[in-house]
Amino acid sequence: MANQTGSGQKAQERLSQVTNHLSSSSKSGKQALLEQHPDDHLHSAVLRPAWHLDPAVTSLRPELIYCQIVVTCALRTPITKGGRGGFKDTQAADLLHGAFTSLIQRSGIDPALVEDIAVGAVLAPGGGATEFRAAALAAGFPVSTAVKSLNRQCSSGLQACVDIANAIRAGVIEVGIGAGAESMSTQYGPQAVSEFSELLESHKSAAECKVPMGVLSEKMAKEKGISRADQDKFAASSFQKAVEAQKKGLFDEEIAPLKVKWTDPKTEKEQTITVSKDDGVREGITPESLSKIKAAFAKDGSIHAGNASQISDGAAAVLLMKRSTAQRLGQKIVGKFVQASIVGVPPLLMGVGPAAAIPVVLQKTGLNKDEVDIWEINEAFASQCLYCINDLGIDIKKVNPKGGAIAFGHPLGVTGARQVSTLLTELKRTNQRIGVTSMCIGTGMGMAAVWVAE
Amino acid sequence: MLEYRTQGYNGYSVKYSPFFDSRIAVAASANFGLVGNGRIYVLGLTPNGIVAEKWFDTQDSLFDTSWSEVHENQLLTAGGDGSVKLFDITLADFPVQSWQEHAREVFSVQWNLVAKDTFLSSSWDGTVKIWNPNASASLTTLPTHSCTYSAAFSPHNPSTVSCVSSDSHLRIFDLRTPASASNHLTFSIPIHTPPKPRMGVPAPVGIQPSEALSHDWNKYRDTIVATAGVDRLIRTFDIRAPNAGPIAVLPGHDYAVRRITWSPHLSDILLSASYDMTCRVWTDGSAMGAGTMKQDNTLEDPMVLGGGRQMGSMGRHTEFVTGVDWCLFGAEGWCASTGWDERVLVWDCKAIMQ
Repeated sequence: MANQTGSGQKAQERLSQVTNHLSSSSKSGKQALLEQHPDDHLHSAVLRPAWHLDPAVTSLRPELIYCQIVVTCALRTPITKGGRGGFKDTQAADLLHGAFTSLIQRSGIDPALVEDIAVGAVLAPGGGATEFRAAALAAGFPVSTAVKSLNRQCSSGLQACVDIANAIRAGVIEVGIGAGAESMSTQYGPQAVSEFSELLESHKSAAECKVPMGVLSEKMAKEKGISRADQDKFAASSFQKAVEAQKKGLFDEEIAPLKVKWTDPKTEKEQTITVSKDDGVREGITPESLSKIKAAFAKDGSIHAGNASQISDGAAAVLLMKRSTAQRLGQKIVGKFVQASIVGVPPLLMGVGPAAAIPVVLQKTGLNKDEVDIWEINEAFASQCLYCINDLGIDIKKVNPKGGAIAFGHPLGVTGARQVSTLLTELKRTNQRIGVTSMCIGTGMGMAAVWVAE
Repeated sequence: MLEYRTQGYNGYSVKYSPFFDSRIAVAASANFGLVGNGRIYVLGLTPNGIVAEKWFDTQDSLFDTSWSEVHENQLLTAGGDGSVKLFDITLADFPVQSWQEHAREVFSVQWNLVAKDTFLSSSWDGTVKIWNPNASASLTTLPTHSCTYSAAFSPHNPSTVSCVSSDSHLRIFDLRTPASASNHLTFSIPIHTPPKPRMGVPAPVGIQPSEALSHDWNKYRDTIVATAGVDRLIRTFDIRAPNAGPIAVLPGHDYAVRRITWSPHLSDILLSASYDMTCRVWTDGSAMGAGTMKQDNTLEDPMVLGGGRQMGSMGRHTEFVTGVDWCLFGAEGWCASTGWDERVLVWDCKAIMQ
């Protein structure tokens, strides 16, 4: 051990040799993805404390260490119309509180075992960090449960889940919650972005980051040749799918009803109501009815309120832990987080995000696109969602089978976490296994993640 | 089942003494063989269980060991620092000889079973070296240009050397041939070659080359060699027909197979150790009656060839199993295994047969 650097490199070479023996001998693609092995199975060796005593070993690549991260509970509040819906007078933190209390109750997890909570939120001033910590305490988590908020725009909810999964994988925590909370009713507005400096204004791509979503999506639809008729058809089908799913009660399992105070706009009287359904879903929407709506962002435009995502309020939460932890705690495993990808795209083409992020995550997991059973791709705008579906060449019948953000709304920071419960319940109901969640992200990014229902 | 704990050291290889039925050598390494010391244990099987009779510590990990065929108290070790060492268990502390020629980790050592004056070693540096214990330098170097995990002398011919390496090839060297440009290489068999098409069986699809980690010569049939490695398959080859592909293929392990060894008692029985934490007993289907139930069964795993099958599995290890060896004496079926769970298990194959 005279030469620590030399022995460190040697150790790393030996480790990658063993890792190659393992990874090359594991089954490939879908089959490998579906395998359930406890993390203490093959890789516990790598996590043993003995390792960390030796300085030559501590420098080893952490990505060689992996274990399986499972979901034992995923739920959401209903999603309601911004300004008019059931949650119009409810703060984001109160929605989050509702999701937390339902999560504790449904999963039966001892709140003291939850070590960290990540909450995605886009519009809350200061990221909502203070009130989300308070919401966790009020929901029954002890002071020892840490809370952070994060903002990666429309993918914040997914980013929260991925951050927690990675913290578990890295051994930082053992049990965590990825969540999202957004009150667009109370917090939507221009204050969400500060003024651009001259420095940013004078840089072309940088300045493009603040072009409003609607305007750039309009441009993109034109550029990519997505016609208004196609957009309206896609949007109408989202409504129709959501109406049918709602009638069949397909959302009931994932929705945690919430009792809130609500002021009747007519009588201005405050009353307590129980919200148990997404109230943005409208019946009787057809491509024809949508074709009559005036375009919102350009005279000759194609994008309007009926084929873009709704402004909404809601919260969602996903309970994550290692498979061995779930088994030890007797938690019911409903799914597995496999892998995620995040990529950047030009700010003006932010809508292509899923088309850029999905191939990356498929490649990482060795999956073929035909092996994915359900795609949950956020419908920020019918134009961009449709573009991504066509560009990826995926079966549109497998995309958002219960409708999407056009039908029931897109509370910005929630969507990523909301998709997990929507996806896992539908995979289970239809007896399918593999799902992908994805969304485009303002300022030009895309994120995607692979999940397996169990 | 007897058990010994190699506390703080993860097993890499286990070998029964060819002289005593109660003596076992275990090569083990601290920190899973990635960094740190190695230790060679000499264990005694006593009425009171397994006891350590002696051990030697080395500066670097140990990956293999082999007992001397001429001296009952001597054994070789394969070191991570590229050294091959000869220890005498009647002496204290230090090896009686150490040879430092390999540029990388030595992964196997084996004493010549016929001409007992030579032994060999194979290494990550892409060579197999032939040694005489009385000479200070190697006698011959056989290049493979590929990390060579396992090399062996034929138990039937003192001049025939075989090895498998990460390039998915089984190489056969004949030391009697002139040391020409081919460096004694007689032929090499691509292990991943699919079997020849057979009647009534779909043509085999191409199989990717993959690292070969272990091989062994059959103790009764002098032309039969078994190989195994990262593709999870155990194969047997007849070196009289090097181009004919495998004569038996045995699928079943869930992860790479780290070591295989033929039974010293029965000509068709193999024992394997794998990263899937199991040891398995197999027949290659060559013994009379062993394969009769299979030939016309179309429902079997399409990879199966030669009528062989798994006869039993031992799942008591809780980590990768890296070493396994048969006891040469007494009732057939006793064997020893070791692995990353810091345990040596001595057990009877007959007890796990299905």
